[in-house]
Amino acid sequence: MAELPAAAPTNRTLARRMTALMALGFIALLLVGYAAVRVMQRNELHTGLVEHTYQVERAVLDVRRLVEESEAARRGLMLIPDRTVTRTNFQRARAQMTPALAHIDGLVRDNPAQRRYLQGLRLQLGSLLARQDRTLALLATGDQRNAILAFADDAEVRDIVTIRNVLDRMAQVERRLMTHRDAELRASQSAFYTLIVLGGVVLAVAAVISTLTILSYTRDLARSDEALRELNAGLEDMVAARTEDLTRANEEIQRFAYIVSHDLRSPLVNVMGFTAELETAASSLRALVERVDAEAPAVASEEARLAATEDLPEAIGFIRTSTQKMDRLINAILQLSRQGRRALAPEKIDVAALIQQIGETLSHRLSETDTVLSVQGSLPVVVSDRLALDQIFSNLIENAVKYLRPGVPGRITVSGRRERDRLHYTIRDNGRGIDPRDHQRVFDLFRRSGAQDRPGEGIGLATVRALVFRLGGSIDVASELGQGAAFTVSLPLVVAKQELNP
Amino acid sequence: MNAPQSVNIVMIEDDEGHARLIEKNIRRAGIMNPIRHFTDGTTALDYIFNDTSGPQLNGPALVLLDLNLPDMSGTDILAKIKTSDGPVKRTPVVVLTTTDDSREIQRCYDLGANVYITKPVNYESFAQAIRQLGLFLSVIQVPDLGDAHG
Repeated sequence: MAELPAAAPTNRTLARRMTALMALGFIALLLVGYAAVRVMQRNELHTGLVEHTYQVERAVLDVRRLVEESEAARRGLMLIPDRTVTRTNFQRARAQMTPALAHIDGLVRDNPAQRRYLQGLRLQLGSLLARQDRTLALLATGDQRNAILAFADDAEVRDIVTIRNVLDRMAQVERRLMTHRDAELRASQSAFYTLIVLGGVVLAVAAVISTLTILSYTRDLARSDEALRELNAGLEDMVAARTEDLTRANEEIQRFAYIVSHDLRSPLVNVMGFTAELETAASSLRALVERVDAEAPAVASEEARLAATEDLPEAIGFIRTSTQKMDRLINAILQLSRQGRRALAPEKIDVAALIQQIGETLSHRLSETDTVLSVQGSLPVVVSDRLALDQIFSNLIENAVKYLRPGVPGRITVSGRRERDRLHYTIRDNGRGIDPRDHQRVFDLFRRSGAQDRPGEGIGLATVRALVFRLGGSIDVASELGQGAAFTVSLPLVVAKQELNP
Repeated sequence: MNAPQSVNIVMIEDDEGHARLIEKNIRRAGIMNPIRHFTDGTTALDYIFNDTSGPQLNGPALVLLDLNLPDMSGTDILAKIKTSDGPVKRTPVVVLTTTDDSREIQRCYDLGANVYITKPVNYESFAQAIRQLGLFLSVIQVPDLGDAHG
């Protein structure tokens, strides 16, 4: 027989393991989500910074363009002083210079390096603008020659080169800054990817482990299910085998009882027959002794007289009553065994009608003893063997009538109730009752209880119990001496069909 | 009866006591026909079918049969008598036994038993039953088996 796997601990472990795996999966998901949010934020920030860098670069380029434009206009004016377009250009470039510088200033306020460059730029620009103003002043006086001469000064060249350098530096600083930030962004992105992969791996592992766990659990379940089924089948086989054994043993007992009681009858016929012959012989002997007594008293001895008139009749009487009793007992056993051999014929039985019928059969004895047999409430219908049920109730009611209290009118009530798939019928009387010590004994064959003032061999209740057992039921008695008795017969709703034994 | 004296009574009964009681009571009923008693089936069948004074070869008879025999079942003897070809099959058979099982009784009648009597254990009833059987035997017409020989 297969052993049952310990199911309960497996269940608890399984629940704990599955919860842990789910928690792990959730944590991995949360981490990945958090990382995604972080990376998005960084991206946004970076985009802003890149934008800023481009703005700075554009601002630097603007300043450069304005410086170059103003210089170009200055040179043009030095060549052709009266050209108005050039002058306008110059003035526009100069006018835009200050807001352009302020724009840069606003952009690089947070960057000390750029601020330093901006400071230098302002100084250099101041110098350049001063030179431009001087050139324009000279030109305004018509001194074109001096203006060109002043322009040829070395310092002039240095200024513009320095300004260009400073602006280049500023652009470079921004470029570097952006490269650095790009690297940072890439690092954070790759960290995010790593995290995603890691989270994915954790999730996958959790999923695989859960699947394996569930699979193994399912396998365990299937195995224990199989084991249970085997166990069940084994049990059924066992029950079937035992039932068969019991049935066989029962059949054996029935046959034994039948044969024994039958074979006991044969010698009994002889014993009784020859006892009768002996009696006949004894009576003729007795007649002879009496005649001898009358005609020749001297011949008859006292012993012979006693033997013929007392000893022989007494012995014969005892043999006779004993054999008669033995005959009744054998008949009882025979009757019991015959009932056991009878096949049951289940049918639907209206128990109330059955009781009424029994009452009619017993009507003479009921009226004789002033007894009333009544049915209390309604009696449940049963599917059982009619003959057996009739014998059971007849015997119980007859017993109730038989053992009434002298002088007390008999009251016998039959009641019934259903309890799930069992039916309980109670036959209650107000008779002399049964001593509780004898409650089991009264159901035994040839055993009786109380005053032995009624005819009987102690067979009725034994028959009743055998029949009730045969119908798959049980019988109980509740009684006190002098308090009446209540016999309760419990039967299945439907009697199980039995194979009859031949 | 044409010739009551010539009818032999064949009693097959293994219990000597029963046989004696049966014989006594038959005699008390006034039946004086010869009674042949057998305690087992084999010798009884041998007598019925093969003995020169047996019913097969020597005229009418009546069989008293007990069912519980040591060597064979009484029903087998009954079947042998009733299924035989010769005149024996018309021999009346009275089954006289302790068995009162209804199935057994039915079976015996099915096999062709003429009368089935249960031996009452009570001696008065027993004696009375046998005496009544005796009265019955005194009026019964037994087929003249000699006719079968033609």
